[in-house]
Amino acid sequence: MLRPRTLSGRYARTAYLFLIPAILFFAAFFYLPIGNVMTTSLRTGPQADQWAGLGNYTQALADPAVRHSFLVTAVFSVIVVLGSIVLGLALALALDQPLRGRVVFRVLLLVPYLTSVAIVGLLWRNILDPELGVLNRVLSASGLPEQTWLNTSPLLTIAAVTLWQSVGYTMVLFLAGLQGIPETYHEAAKIDGADAWRRFWRITLPLLAPTTLFVSVMAVISGLQAFGQAYIITNGGPGDATDLSVFHIFNVAFRARDFGYSSAQSVLLLVVIVAFTLVQLRAGRRGEVTY
Amino acid sequence: MRKPLLYTLLALACLMTVVPLLYMVSLSLQTEAETLSANAVLVPDSPQWGNYAELFVRAPFGNFIVNSLVVAGAITLAHLLFDPLVGYVFAKFRFPLRNTLFVALLATLMVPFFVRMIPLYVLMATMGWLDTYQGLITPFLMDAFGIFLMRQFIQPIPDDLISAARIDGASELRIYRSVILPQTRPALAVLGLFTFVFQWNEFLWPLVATTTPEMRTIPVGLTLFNQEYFTLWHLTAAGSVILFVPTAILFVFTQRYFVRGIALTGIK
Repeated sequence: MLRPRTLSGRYARTAYLFLIPAILFFAAFFYLPIGNVMTTSLRTGPQADQWAGLGNYTQALADPAVRHSFLVTAVFSVIVVLGSIVLGLALALALDQPLRGRVVFRVLLLVPYLTSVAIVGLLWRNILDPELGVLNRVLSASGLPEQTWLNTSPLLTIAAVTLWQSVGYTMVLFLAGLQGIPETYHEAAKIDGADAWRRFWRITLPLLAPTTLFVSVMAVISGLQAFGQAYIITNGGPGDATDLSVFHIFNVAFRARDFGYSSAQSVLLLVVIVAFTLVQLRAGRRGEVTY
Repeated sequence: MRKPLLYTLLALACLMTVVPLLYMVSLSLQTEAETLSANAVLVPDSPQWGNYAELFVRAPFGNFIVNSLVVAGAITLAHLLFDPLVGYVFAKFRFPLRNTLFVALLATLMVPFFVRMIPLYVLMATMGWLDTYQGLITPFLMDAFGIFLMRQFIQPIPDDLISAARIDGASELRIYRSVILPQTRPALAVLGLFTFVFQWNEFLWPLVATTTPEMRTIPVGLTLFNQEYFTLWHLTAAGSVILFVPTAILFVFTQRYFVRGIALTGIK
């Protein structure tokens, strides 16, 4: 091997030696698949070996089932984003007070975040099942009306289950954000006679903007690629009411075995996710406040 | 707000998260008749510990556990091995194309897993890696997030430490192992915990990449068991408890790391 003469050349060689595994890994398991999903999206047929040009894309954009799955995913994501912000912030504000047992509350609220979507999905399907579910058996035994949420508002229900799992995570993010706001701002505002409500809207919320932005970006990204909830709890139903995009793509790819069409749909969903992230980040940068 | 009201609200929220999980434990100890009885059983009369044994008879649950341990364990080890090394290179070395490579690395953060799912499946199928450990493990050996986390952590370590070790004649690998790595221990703990828990819980890829029950991980094996025996809720619940207990134990002992780790991801 050629021995580099300069010191900086030697460091560069060391750097590349250390980087070899990473370069190989990201090439083989990120960039190659991304290239492949794009080329496959331009092909059709059971082996995805016939040239289709943009045919899969035009077909997908006109396909009512695909459009419906995008709509379902959008509604689901909006509920999850708003719920994450409102509930996560409310819990964080409550926990930011000098309370006894804060650690215990924080731990208990964070526990669902550590569970697999398999546990969350199976458990809530068991609880909410209209016929056999424990909730209805408890309700009817106590003479209360039974619920059929998985039939009447399935999308809202699986979004709520998703929030049940993730709200502890957003709460911890907001807590960290709240602890970054200097106490002096609140004290100064108190001296000026601002009540708690006013201080929340004028101090806490504006200064939390970066955290809120981060929470909403994360919630959008995870909401748009939710899969397990539809696969486990509702199987996309009733009808196609909870046919989330990734679940739809999964079915087109692995049940209908149409890799070309499903690849085109995943590229479309990727474009949506990247666009949303960039728009949110730009909007967030414009809205940043300093005092 | 008044304190009693705050306590009540927080206690209610905690009940909402804990009661369903406790019910899962209760369900795992009920008889089949109890799981279906019109008067919902919240605490079983006599706990049916035999449910856990029956689960292993009905499904290759021992395989699921071993598979989950092997897959999550191997991926965690790979992250602990590679993420700090790559993070160190980007934190402390100057070399051609450094910024280009770093941007190319960060760009992968924008690529959700479902984008890679179909091409990875085709790749694994052509290599004959479906239904194998290498098929389950290799797509997750490293990620940009772990590397970025380690880079942020290594950057503040003084360059003088590295120069001094070089003057003393230490090899580059030795410098990494004896000077850098020991200082990253808190970050490594966070990285290891998060990687293990996420991989232990991973659902989509093991669902796609396995074809025989014997190769399934617990989340996938359990879900497909439930599809097959959808009335045997006591057994599904027992499987859920087995899936949950390791992460719960890890969490109880390391919750500070988890909380710090989450807060760390939120700071730009």
